[in-house]
Amino acid sequence: MMIRRHSRSAIFMHWFNAVCWLFLLFSGFALLVGDMQPIGQWWRNLWVALFGERGLLVAHLLVGSVWVAVYAIYILTSCRREVLPFLREILHFKPASDLVWCFRKGLWLVLGPKVMLKMGVDPKLPPQGFYNAGQRMVAVLAVAASIGLAITGVAMGYFSGNVSWALGENALLWCIVVHFACAGVMAIFLPVHIYMAALAPGEGPALRSMFTGFVPQSHAQHHNPLWFASLKAAGALGGETQEQHSNVAQKG
Amino acid sequence: MARYIMLINSEHCMDCKACVVACQQRNGVPYGFHRNWVHETKSQASACGFKFQPGACMHCEDPSCVAACPTGATWKARDGVVHIDRSRCIGCGSCIEACPYHARFRHPLTGTADKCDYCMGSTPGETPACVAVCPMHCRTFGDLDDPSSAVAKIAATHKLVHIVPKGSGARPTLAYLETTTPASLPAASTVSHPVEAIRPFSKVVTWVGGAVLAALAGTFVRQLVKPSEREDEEIAAQAKKTEAASARQEEDKA
Repeated sequence: MMIRRHSRSAIFMHWFNAVCWLFLLFSGFALLVGDMQPIGQWWRNLWVALFGERGLLVAHLLVGSVWVAVYAIYILTSCRREVLPFLREILHFKPASDLVWCFRKGLWLVLGPKVMLKMGVDPKLPPQGFYNAGQRMVAVLAVAASIGLAITGVAMGYFSGNVSWALGENALLWCIVVHFACAGVMAIFLPVHIYMAALAPGEGPALRSMFTGFVPQSHAQHHNPLWFASLKAAGALGGETQEQHSNVAQKG
Repeated sequence: MARYIMLINSEHCMDCKACVVACQQRNGVPYGFHRNWVHETKSQASACGFKFQPGACMHCEDPSCVAACPTGATWKARDGVVHIDRSRCIGCGSCIEACPYHARFRHPLTGTADKCDYCMGSTPGETPACVAVCPMHCRTFGDLDDPSSAVAKIAATHKLVHIVPKGSGARPTLAYLETTTPASLPAASTVSHPVEAIRPFSKVVTWVGGAVLAALAGTFVRQLVKPSEREDEEIAAQAKKTEAASARQEEDKA
């Protein structure tokens, strides 16, 4: 039995975001020079060889503008249906339980449950809701960084240069710093999200759900017991399943 | 490869400012802004009571403006000239703040940084406007590595003096002949706040990001070699075995 976990629009926005983020992060770092370059001069040379000096800045601006525009439309059209519930979900922190989850999950992956038992640490994870503690933390960081990147990016791209509404030099200087700080924080946390979502053991069904929208009931019961319990309590488990969904599609 | 420099005999300058006006005209510098200047210093040693010091971008070795630019829009070419690529400049003003000579300004029409480029942008290959118009021939421009050039000949026969703002550590290539007044400029910073904060933060991203990637790679390999899920199953099987054994023991006792 499969349960719907992600809507089609949420899946599209996730992958659209992923592609844009990776391009913007990689091309953005390639724009930096000297001591400000966090990867190395070879990285800049590689991107400049692909896009050219001016082309790199233009491509970064273009993709960034499309990213901001599509997100603005998504937020405006899906605010009540998807954006607000998502924000409510990721901001629902239980600090003590969340820290225990992160600590135990980390040890489980790095040392394994046998070593944990020898150390006297219980490998059992605290029950999680729709998102686990790690996903919620990264999501909050991603939302905050996205807001920072979008505002400062638009400021640098469209409120600078030879326009009458150009910002002052000091404001633009701070925009660069905030833009880099947001990108830097996400450069550190993004690989963690990619590993935990795509490569970590037991996450296969969750990764597939980011394509199909559906997750097996047993997986939800095991990984997201609080979400599963709330679905059960609301009587939503008999709702839209993948089987029913494909039947409807066939009839259509 | 050529090595372009400008030499100035400031003792000949009479402060006519023809160089300033010619530069503005050739490079389209708007009224109120200028790429070069003539500093005036009161002096008893001069018949008119003033000493004059023409100047412009010093095209420094290891320029602080280049280090301060986050997008690489300004750079020092191999021929010694410090350039600005307007298409890559976002007009943040970081280079303007970092120049200890205050040789840069934000062009009000382009919104980008602007400064002397020896007229290479406006009239490539031609003598810079300031050199061409000077009635006293104060300024000389050319390739220092070409022995037949005027600058090479002058440099070979004169003592070259550089003026450095106190505490800046600047290494200018523009030089004055024998003496110039003032001999140094007021203290100036080459640090551009807050862009300077990117440098240490960039190091943090490099090292922390690298450590995270290494830890993830290690965890990935560990999970390939010895999956935690298999350990979970083994622990569960062991627990079942122990449970069955204790149940059997209880049955035997009964």
